Amino acid sequence: MKRPISVVIWIVVALVGAGALGTIAFHRGEPLNATWFVVAAACCYLVAYRFYSAFIAARLLTLDDSRATPSERHDDGRDFVPTNKWILFGHHFAAIAGPGPLVGPTLAAQFGYLPGTLWLIAGAVFAGCVQDFIILFCSIRRDGKTLGEIAREEVSQRGGFIAQLAVLAIMIILLGVVALVIVNALKSSPWATFTLAATIPIALLLGLYLRFLRPGRVLEASFIGVALVLFVVVAGQWVADSPSWAHVFTLSGVTLAFALMAYGFAASALPVWLLLAPRDYLSAFIKAGAIFSLAAGILLVRPQVLMPPLTRFIDGSGPVFAGKIFPFCFITIACGAISGFHSLISSGTTPKMILRESHARFIGYGAMLMESFVGVMAMIAACAMTPGVYFAINSPASIVGATSDAAAATISSWGYPLQAQTMADLARAVGEQTLLNRAGGAPSLAVGMAQIFSSTIGGPRLLSIWYHFAIMFEALFILTVLDAGTRVGRFMVQELGGRVWKPFARTGWWPGILISSALIVGAWGYFLYQGVVDPLGGINSLWPLFGISNQLLAAVALVVATTILLKMKRLRWIWLTLIPMAWLVIITMTASYQKIFDANPRLGFLSYANVLAAQIAAGKIPAAKIADTQRVIFNQRLDAAVTAVLAAMIIVLIIEALMQWYRILSSDPKSVLHETAYVATRWTEDFSGASYVRAAAEPEAPAVEG
Amino acid sequence: MSSVGSEVQACTRKSRAFAATLWIKRVAAKLWLGIREWCGDSAYERYVQAQSTNPEKSCLLTPTEFYVERVNHRYSRPNRCC
Repeated sequence: MKRPISVVIWIVVALVGAGALGTIAFHRGEPLNATWFVVAAACCYLVAYRFYSAFIAARLLTLDDSRATPSERHDDGRDFVPTNKWILFGHHFAAIAGPGPLVGPTLAAQFGYLPGTLWLIAGAVFAGCVQDFIILFCSIRRDGKTLGEIAREEVSQRGGFIAQLAVLAIMIILLGVVALVIVNALKSSPWATFTLAATIPIALLLGLYLRFLRPGRVLEASFIGVALVLFVVVAGQWVADSPSWAHVFTLSGVTLAFALMAYGFAASALPVWLLLAPRDYLSAFIKAGAIFSLAAGILLVRPQVLMPPLTRFIDGSGPVFAGKIFPFCFITIACGAISGFHSLISSGTTPKMILRESHARFIGYGAMLMESFVGVMAMIAACAMTPGVYFAINSPASIVGATSDAAAATISSWGYPLQAQTMADLARAVGEQTLLNRAGGAPSLAVGMAQIFSSTIGGPRLLSIWYHFAIMFEALFILTVLDAGTRVGRFMVQELGGRVWKPFARTGWWPGILISSALIVGAWGYFLYQGVVDPLGGINSLWPLFGISNQLLAAVALVVATTILLKMKRLRWIWLTLIPMAWLVIITMTASYQKIFDANPRLGFLSYANVLAAQIAAGKIPAAKIADTQRVIFNQRLDAAVTAVLAAMIIVLIIEALMQWYRILSSDPKSVLHETAYVATRWTEDFSGASYVRAAAEPEAPAVEG
Repeated sequence: MSSVGSEVQACTRKSRAFAATLWIKRVAAKLWLGIREWCGDSAYERYVQAQSTNPEKSCLLTPTEFYVERVNHRYSRPNRCC
């Protein structure tokens, strides 16, 4: 009896999902309600999780719960900790959810709501979740080894080295780009700048509390911290209203860029318990709260989506960033659909904490579905505002003009009506001097979130508080990526330096700490600086570069996954990873080629550099601006070189992988699978990590191997 | 007869209320445990437990030493994504 009911329920879910997707795809004319997006995404995720992930778990990976996981075999209470699957899901989701799924869909909204939404759902279901799930499985079967180590063992030595280099490259570009998003959000905004600056002493206070007063009492420290952060969001208004204090916290883009570099350096070099860890705790709580509030707000308010399904900018002429819908919609969405960076988390802490192999499906596949849902919510928030307002916030001054009148005239001429007064009123309502030319995605997302939140609680009166809460939320967890990433980058630089001179690799050696911190901050700081001084707004050139490097890392992960599946003799189902891998290689290569060689100066790095060089040669650039222009030319050529190196890395890796695949298919005895040997679990079937602390004290506690 | 019936009904109501309270308490306790474990509040207890069942005994760290070592280790590899 149960089975027919289940079949009926799943048929209904599938039909409702198909109906909602069809409505999103084919609806024209009147604005569409956001509920359709939520229903379509939720139904697709449910069906994908129930059937596709179950198919991968059963047929492709043959997950085996009788096999002891690394957390059982090496349980030490520090690194290898058996953890309840729901709690590990929370850990894993908190680790993979960053600013990418919020910023990417917001920027991709320039093509309209349809392409981004479809890719967020389809990309996650068929590529992103599959990558996270399979890499997690591979790492569990290899004692929690990292992606680089797995690539070295299963593909080739060179493949592993390329994976490591790709990680470092993506880290540097990522940090530069996310820092640029913060700069564009805080520029000329004393309220937002004060709020974010105040989180630093709050984090220091928590650090001292957790270290000296109540060691490890994260929960109570976080409650204190969250209360203080909410207070400084409100206090920011008093700062903005005070002429003398407002002046202190009104900073230019360049000043903010150097302040962020100084912060990154301090967070990397100072003891981790003092600044980095407490900020992360704060960020994790606020992130969880804000994401759930946004979901609840969208469900309660059910806003109308005002952006059309497709805009005129699918032809590549968009003001937010240049490039046609293919491949730049996919490159821009990045993390919300598939993120190479997730493979580092899936082969990092999570495999060392997982209780059973079957949990990999819920944690690996399920957490990525959740991340994709965050991306869909960001898309709704961006598309719920008037298209004219969206383009006014996200377009650089060099395209739409620096004044409200010029921006309104330009944007209206594109067919998206906008009154100059609308922007002035909106800026006043959110407590900002201006919202024009705030490229980067964060301010427009904050406006969208604030409109949704204020429709739920407080009305227009609280719009400014909600806006600055949203800015603080975005900036706070971008800062977390920035400081944690800088520190990890520092370790990578020290490890690489240690190959040349051994003492450099000692992580406690102060000269090594300072030099490596300065090197990594200098590397991402350079990208940040060039983005800040770029007349096209920086995001235009840097976000695609970040997208390319991120998708490249995802391709690396899928190459590794495909190689392992071939070694496991899963030839029949190899398309499950091969197709997403091929797709990623196609979009990465196309985007790289266009970013380097396209004749449109807004898109191609080299053509832009050539146009500027020709202008200098023709004497069209004033003498005072020649040095700046030459710097822009150098930056464009540097970006072209970085893109070319990234593309070359993936080509070399694919050649390596193809050689390995040939050896596997021709049954070369050297191509062996490097899994750890099977050890039967000694845990009972209903054992759950949550009960471990209590259960272990009792006589029937599970026996754990040393 | 009717008074006995109402007593039985009252008793049933009370026992239902008692069961509901127990259930709420159990769920709240589980939730609290989950939150503590998620944010790392119970990590030291978990570590002490693991050490007590580990045959290869090593020197037990104090809560402060354990906290510092844990965060140092945690932030030395990618643990926050883009």
